[in-house]
Amino acid sequence: MQTTAIERRPLWNFGTREVVYAAIGAALYGLLSAATNFLQIPAAGNVAIRPAVAIPLFFGIAFGPIVGFITGFLGNIIGDLLSGYGFWIWWDLGNGIMGLVAGLIAASIHDYAQFNNILKAEVMIILAVAIGMLFASITEIWVSGIDFATTIAVNFLPSFLTNIINGLILVPILMIAYAAVVSRSGR
Amino acid sequence: MLASLNYRPRGSVVERIDPRARWIYSLAMVFSIVFFWDIRFLLFFFALALLQYALSNLTWREARRAWFFIFFIATMMVVVNTLITSAGTISQVTEGPAHPVLVIDTRLPLINLPISFTLTAERLWYGLCQYIRILSISLLFLVLPFTLDPRKYGITFRGLGASDRLAYSMDLAFRFLPTLNRDFNVTVDAQRARGYELERAQGGLFAQIRKMAPLMVPVTMNAILEGEDIINAMDLRCFGLRPRTWIQRLSYQWYDYLLIGLSIAILVASLVLRYGFQVGDFWVPAWLVG
Repeated sequence: MQTTAIERRPLWNFGTREVVYAAIGAALYGLLSAATNFLQIPAAGNVAIRPAVAIPLFFGIAFGPIVGFITGFLGNIIGDLLSGYGFWIWWDLGNGIMGLVAGLIAASIHDYAQFNNILKAEVMIILAVAIGMLFASITEIWVSGIDFATTIAVNFLPSFLTNIINGLILVPILMIAYAAVVSRSGR
Repeated sequence: MLASLNYRPRGSVVERIDPRARWIYSLAMVFSIVFFWDIRFLLFFFALALLQYALSNLTWREARRAWFFIFFIATMMVVVNTLITSAGTISQVTEGPAHPVLVIDTRLPLINLPISFTLTAERLWYGLCQYIRILSISLLFLVLPFTLDPRKYGITFRGLGASDRLAYSMDLAFRFLPTLNRDFNVTVDAQRARGYELERAQGGLFAQIRKMAPLMVPVTMNAILEGEDIINAMDLRCFGLRPRTWIQRLSYQWYDYLLIGLSIAILVASLVLRYGFQVGDFWVPAWLVG
């Protein structure tokens, strides 16, 4: 009988495996962010759809919170570098926190194709995106001097809604594909 | 898609400075700027940021995308905050004296809905201070990606105190970019040969997102599988067992120490002025409200 379960690893482990996957995740997130900048929400002005946000969420869930954080943080930096937008440190941190929070359930998921685990991941995605984007939005209050209502309207809601939709649709697809890869490769 | 970073050697003054000193300077300036709302102090930091920009030899053509993005974000936040919501968190603006510049007190025809709006000189001035503050902070970091060699990110953060593994992970991410970019382009071409169209924006929001799956899944899974070989290679070479050596070496020069000292001095002075002498709070010039 084929199994899609993998060996347990400590949640905060940062060995060779995590170093490489963090680097891969960051490069993927940066690349796919820059590649999909043309996708816009219909009739919503300048708010771009960012399907690549599924990458830090998935990498956090699959490989742990440290990998999730580096994927989000460094990946956002790389994406902005490739797009020519400069550095926005507080948004890089927000993306990193998003990947970190999603990775908090990594130790409890062993079968990525199981319905209960996918459901658990979906709930964690909502929490992770909310916390990550709230952090970045609230930091804008301190940096830019805008008030809470403005940052919620201009920063939090557009990023939260688009990231939630992307994460809830694409992360389960990535989890099922990863489960198939793990079972075939036997690693 | 051609994925290329925007760095190229420019022979500028800024590039001669140690990247660690540059990061320390940028972060110290950001933390100093956020203490002040007095435009006279904000203009000082804006001038420093402009000086750094001028010394980096950036052309308009190279940086125009970043400029448009910064101006768009700043304008959106300031306009929404000044005109639509409660104009910031500064009590002098929300509770202090108000000198109206524009007063709208009317009713919508047909439905008789009352509309009342007052724009004060203090809110406008606050909007200007916000603009300068956002521009100063953005300008500080705008030059970094154009003037910092991507090969030095790892060694820079190692020098700033990050662990070997974290710093190497950053280094490896930049090294993966060309490989993943090639795989991405091959996957796009392969999917196009099967009738997949990435650029056609047909369907609603959910359809557009689902359309990304045939692109993201193979690229991601291939990258993970290739990563396993790299992990095995690194383990065979005993990665992580001893402190790592790096190909690039960074060494401070006298001007790097000078810049770090100046950054710390400005940060300390900002703290003392703001919390010791209570200087630097929101200030409206008398000629504006006179």
